[in-house]
Amino acid sequence: MTDSATHSAPRRLGLIITFGLAALAMIYLSYSLPRLLPGDFVTAMYSSSHVTLTAEQEAELRAYYTEEPGFGRYLVKLASLDWGYSYAFLTPVSALFFGALPWTLLLLGTAHVISMFVGFVTGVEAAWRRDSHLERSMVGGMTVLEGVPEISTGVILLVVFALHLGWFPAAGAETAYAEVSLLARLADVGHHLALPLATLVLAYFPGNFLLTRNSMVMVIKQSYITTARAKGLPARRIRYAHAARNALLPLVTRFGLRLAFMITGALVVERIHSYPGLGTLLYNAIQARDLPVIQAVVLASSLMVLTIILGLEMIYRIIDPRIEHAH
Amino acid sequence: MSLSMDKLSVLYHDGLHSIQALDEVSIELKPGACLALIGESGSGKTTLGHACLGLLPQNASVEGRISLNGQQIDYSDETSLNQLRWNRLAMVFQNGAANFNPVYRIINQVAEPLIQRADIGQAEAMLIAAQALSELGLNHDECNRFPHQLSGGQIQRALLAMALILDPEVLILDEPTSGLDAVTKTIVADVIQKARSGNKTVLLITHDLEFAVHNSDTITMLYLGQIMETLPAEDLLTSPLHPFTLALSRSYPAMSTARDLGGIRGDAFYRTVHQHGRQEGEAYRHSHIQSPGSGHESSHAPPTGCLFQNRCTQALDRCRTEPVALELIGDHQVRCLRHGIVSILDLKQVEKSYGDVVALRPTDLTIKAGEVFSIVGETGSGKTTLAMTAAGAFKPDNGTRVFDGHDMDEWIRRDYKSLARQIGVIYQSPAESISHRFTVLEAVAEPLKIHGLCRNSEERLERVIRVLAHVHLSTDKAFLGRYPHELNMGALQRVSMARALILNPSLLIADEPTSSLDPSVQAKVLKLLLDLQIELGLSMLFVTHDIGLARKISDRLGVMLQGRLIEFGPASLVIDKPLHPYTRLLIDSVSGLSRKSFNSGSSRVEPGGCPFEHRCTRAKDVCKKKNPQMLERDHRSVACHFPWDRPR
Repeated sequence: MTDSATHSAPRRLGLIITFGLAALAMIYLSYSLPRLLPGDFVTAMYSSSHVTLTAEQEAELRAYYTEEPGFGRYLVKLASLDWGYSYAFLTPVSALFFGALPWTLLLLGTAHVISMFVGFVTGVEAAWRRDSHLERSMVGGMTVLEGVPEISTGVILLVVFALHLGWFPAAGAETAYAEVSLLARLADVGHHLALPLATLVLAYFPGNFLLTRNSMVMVIKQSYITTARAKGLPARRIRYAHAARNALLPLVTRFGLRLAFMITGALVVERIHSYPGLGTLLYNAIQARDLPVIQAVVLASSLMVLTIILGLEMIYRIIDPRIEHAH
Repeated sequence: MSLSMDKLSVLYHDGLHSIQALDEVSIELKPGACLALIGESGSGKTTLGHACLGLLPQNASVEGRISLNGQQIDYSDETSLNQLRWNRLAMVFQNGAANFNPVYRIINQVAEPLIQRADIGQAEAMLIAAQALSELGLNHDECNRFPHQLSGGQIQRALLAMALILDPEVLILDEPTSGLDAVTKTIVADVIQKARSGNKTVLLITHDLEFAVHNSDTITMLYLGQIMETLPAEDLLTSPLHPFTLALSRSYPAMSTARDLGGIRGDAFYRTVHQHGRQEGEAYRHSHIQSPGSGHESSHAPPTGCLFQNRCTQALDRCRTEPVALELIGDHQVRCLRHGIVSILDLKQVEKSYGDVVALRPTDLTIKAGEVFSIVGETGSGKTTLAMTAAGAFKPDNGTRVFDGHDMDEWIRRDYKSLARQIGVIYQSPAESISHRFTVLEAVAEPLKIHGLCRNSEERLERVIRVLAHVHLSTDKAFLGRYPHELNMGALQRVSMARALILNPSLLIADEPTSSLDPSVQAKVLKLLLDLQIELGLSMLFVTHDIGLARKISDRLGVMLQGRLIEFGPASLVIDKPLHPYTRLLIDSVSGLSRKSFNSGSSRVEPGGCPFEHRCTRAKDVCKKKNPQMLERDHRSVACHFPWDRPR
């Protein structure tokens, strides 16, 4: 297939250039947008504190914290991986960021993988049993569940299982200052993870189910499924190798986009369960007008969106060969 | 291996309505045989193929049995059915590329049955698949493509390779040639040939009539899920017995037919079965046919009778009500109350002289229901006399005339008017055949008056307007009040067509209806006439001296010479391979070919001899003495002692 190879090389180059330009635009936005927030660090920091500043001190502080580094310097600092110091926490931004990232990855990654896998399998199986009582009640139930926002599921779970029953901790990602074995620590992390994870899975899984089920229903009607049946293939092979394989594309798109918006997605749930991830970090930084932190989180999340979309572009070509040859 | 279906019925349920896709279809396929299943779309062909493999959707209910080698297939047992599928029964589905999974390479899909079913390793399976594909002309590069990267012909080859990969005993081909060019079709034909010589059973589902004729030995015609006719393949285009078979073959652009495409009158219908209430049982069920999309408003006429009757050219009242079963006529199986296509007109040995001028010598003429029969001949050959004798206007001196199963002479004696209503006539010269004192309205309405129909003048006007619309004439007041001299020839001829059609005749006799028209008007009038012939289901006797014209319009054609039909048969055969020397002369004259092989001479007739003898170069002594008898040869009749055995 020499023809497709010669076609796709310049197309791929074009794709990378496009994404490079988009990334540059993102960097500029991450620099300029947080500056447009009303208020500043000095107001946020000292308005509620007991320290009373003189007008002179205040002017001095404000001059220090609102100093414009200029976009050029911002770029240089970015390139040298120097993200600066947080105003509020007085620690390097990178330390804050990489301290919060693993928790977000753990929570969101697990939630996405579980909800995608479960949603996919149940969607495939439900579509295969189309018009059965099970399928109908599942579709109905999932539609209702899809309509419930994560903020209310989160609060309900918190109230019932943490506050009322007391089965799970209400806040944090692990028990502080506990010196225990690795196994016990893992159990502890899992224990803390359960409620926010359940909230997110409940929020994401119905959508994945409905999407898979709908695209499966369309795929099952296709002639090639009849062909597969006529070939006398085992039912599971028809269901997964032939039907589900073709129903995968919309789900992959959804998975990718959800991953890309991981940080914003986590913000609500992390706040409800006081989970120390990027969402909580961003929330606190915005409250304190902690510009360097806001910039870092905004930039990181927007670059993540870009990277994942670029990755999706590549994955699509593997999942559906027709995309490679579409003009 | 033999495949047989015994009273196979399939219903698709959809709420209270059900669609009857197959109705007690029984088919027997012997090893090495190929049966072609032909029908319009929606006739249940594909349903039958899918039923064999147990691929019908869940809302289908199946009755009857399908047996392989005499053993009934149990479609409820998925495991044993899966053993059967592809191993013993394989199918090439219609619609090409849609049957391949778009995300896998062709070769993987061809090899899949080997790996999954025959427990052959991946590498070996790929080799076998590549081999199978290359046998059908797909090279290594093409095998490794995705379905969307192949052309229609390549896809069809890949489908064939995939169906044959497990060497099945029964091969079902569903529209394997649709969308293929003639050259690629030969590959499909080769596959069928090879399968048959390998003693496989082939079921060919198609609407490609010529392909079916050349590649199968038996043809079954399916209409709305019922078998209408089962016939030997070679008879399909030449001598079908069921009106549906004839109408469908007339709709097919076969190389061997000269006539313009006809089509079948009316529309195809769905057959739905109503289930009133949820109760089971016949008392609550009745079925009817309805046009697609008409919903509940369709007529509730129960189709206890023939399903084809509303489109048939020879339907009687009882066709609508009386159930009809398949019966054996010759080597055809036909489902028709009237035992196949009937003759609407049957003249036997009719003769006519005007004083001592002999216009008609003993001649036979048969017109079948729904066909266009043309009589061609030179001036004075007796064409008009024969046509008028057929119309009942002239009384023959001798011979019998039978119209629609009744003796015509007796009918004329008893009640001439009721016979005249059955036969419409269009005369040679429209200007002379319409009184110049009549307006258009009066001229067209006259038959109604004569026959005492539509005494109410509004009703009459309505009927005139309807028939004028049929022949594409204006229906406004001004036009109705015109006189013949105010109209051009084309419009005038249409007025006379309208007059001939206003009594809803079953036979239309047209005597040189276009000879006074210029070619462009002639083309329009003829097109109209043929459309009406199809839509109204008329039989037609068309008299013309123009054999080129006759070729374009007729199903059968007769050549007249000296008061006698000397050759008649399917129009394409008579013209492409004439058997009588005179027919050949006629055709050669039209095509401007040399007429050297014929003697010129007067058209005098030796009493007792062949009328063409003195102009014929092949004439021998016997031709002088004895007028030749009609011979049956090559699907037609010819009156010649020495017909051309090997046509040009």
